[in-house]
Amino acid sequence: MIEVEQLRKVYAPGRGLDGFSLSVKAGELCGLVGPNGAGKTTLIKILSTLVRPDSGRARVAGIDVTRDALAAKSLIGYMPDQPGLYQDMRVREYLEFFSDAFGIPPSQRAASVDSALESSGLGPRASSFVEELSFGMKQRLLLWKTLIHSPKLLLLDEPATGLDPLARIELREHLKKLHASGITILISSHILSDLEDICTRVAFINDGRNAVDSAGSKVFDIEHQAAASALYEIGVIGDAEAAARAAGAIPNARVLESTAGRLMVEISGDETAAAEFLKELITRGTVVTRFDHPASVLEERYRRLFGSRVQ
Amino acid sequence: MSAPPHALSFARNPMIRKELRQRLRERRGWILPSLYLVVVAAVATFAYYEMTASEGGHIQGAEIGVMMFLVAAYTQLSLLLLLSPIFSAGALTIEKEQRTLPALLVTLLGGYRIWWGKLVASLLFVFLLLVAALPILSTAFAFGGISLWPVFSATMTTVIILLTINAISLYWSSAFRRSVVATAVSYVTVVILTIVTFIIFLATMSASKATTWTHLSFLKKLPLYCNPVFFLTLSFSPVKMLYPDWFISLGIFAGLGAIATALTLWNLSRSGESG
Repeated sequence: MIEVEQLRKVYAPGRGLDGFSLSVKAGELCGLVGPNGAGKTTLIKILSTLVRPDSGRARVAGIDVTRDALAAKSLIGYMPDQPGLYQDMRVREYLEFFSDAFGIPPSQRAASVDSALESSGLGPRASSFVEELSFGMKQRLLLWKTLIHSPKLLLLDEPATGLDPLARIELREHLKKLHASGITILISSHILSDLEDICTRVAFINDGRNAVDSAGSKVFDIEHQAAASALYEIGVIGDAEAAARAAGAIPNARVLESTAGRLMVEISGDETAAAEFLKELITRGTVVTRFDHPASVLEERYRRLFGSRVQ
Repeated sequence: MSAPPHALSFARNPMIRKELRQRLRERRGWILPSLYLVVVAAVATFAYYEMTASEGGHIQGAEIGVMMFLVAAYTQLSLLLLLSPIFSAGALTIEKEQRTLPALLVTLLGGYRIWWGKLVASLLFVFLLLVAALPILSTAFAFGGISLWPVFSATMTTVIILLTINAISLYWSSAFRRSVVATAVSYVTVVILTIVTFIIFLATMSASKATTWTHLSFLKKLPLYCNPVFFLTLSFSPVKMLYPDWFISLGIFAGLGAIATALTLWNLSRSGESG
């Protein structure tokens, strides 16, 4: 659905995209993570036809977004990071306007607006002015306005910004339903736990380029991660360096990080392999106090990729 | 899903409907037309009493008619030149200020439909004022001395001037991020066109040896051709005398409007980069 090759867009040195590539299959829910200024918004703006790249290629469903922007627009639903609303319009008028703006025939307009009102739960507020809605309702209105023309690809730039926990949970559930209905979604967010909950894959971006983790992977495949290998956080007593050496010597294990009293190890295989590893580690004289997955695997990967930048 | 209606489609352009709906919901949507009519009517009435009082009642009805028409026409143009930037200079900046422009740009409307919707909506409001004041302008008929032609010609010329001023204000609206800046620069443009051009003309005239308008070179006349008040004055001429001066002014105003439009569309096509 999305094919991005060596995309480059430079606003100023160090700002924009510098050869980013990404491939997202139809029906995927792909996350896009990276520090502020990494190029996430630029990528999403290029895909949504708002920004022209300096070089490289961006295609949506085989359509070049630069050469055939109009055709691409009909396939894309884009929700910007700080979206605005026409506060002085009624909810129904607002949806009708965007229905017309996307060229939905007048005969189908009422049906598409009614469907959006029902799906968003804003039916009872159809005659209210937008300014009278709560923040969460406005966010729902924005999401369903974005979906009014039934796009095949949904581009969401930080959609959870400013939402309270309940609204965030609600948004997650809506996105899961949309994903289940077959819509491809690319979502950028700093809320990694949300991405981990809903995404099938997550792409990392830093300084406008693909950020590659220690395993050489540009994209973190959440769905298949558990089957191939898993991260384990191990609490140890005593010499952590010696424990790290012992762990590293065990087959199918790779020590990613070693700090005082704590190891982060990637173990290939299923839970039986992890149990074998633990048994072997203890046999080699390491005193283990804790052996578990980190609270958030994505968060852990993010920390290791961009940790130095945070410090 | 089908392609949206033709860019210049009037009734089916959703931008026009949206803009008009929003404008009519604003308080200024009814305050400004009311104030406008009160001012035009007050000036015309004042002119009538001034004329009849100063001439001691010995003035011809036709003279009153002509004078009232001229006063109303110039007052109308002056007021509309003052009001136009209010409607058009904020048209695109408001979309930037309330962060709604990206959502518009990713629809199938495209930059030209957005521009057309904004221009038509702002012009319609100004035209509403123009039409509303026609009865005041037409009171001149009651006194005689005025035929239908000057009323028609002056109204058309005012429309052309307002079209250009609105197109220029929309350009400033596309160029700046804040409504207050775009509106200020639009007023500067109006001042340059109405006052500065006249001062430049007077300065060149005083340095010129030519004593009549026909003996002046085109370059020396050029500032005045760009002046909306002069353009309106030319429209009072009989049909046969409109050529060449009125047409030169028409060409200049049409050219300014076309340049402003092209630049606005260029700015809109690049708005996604910043907005």
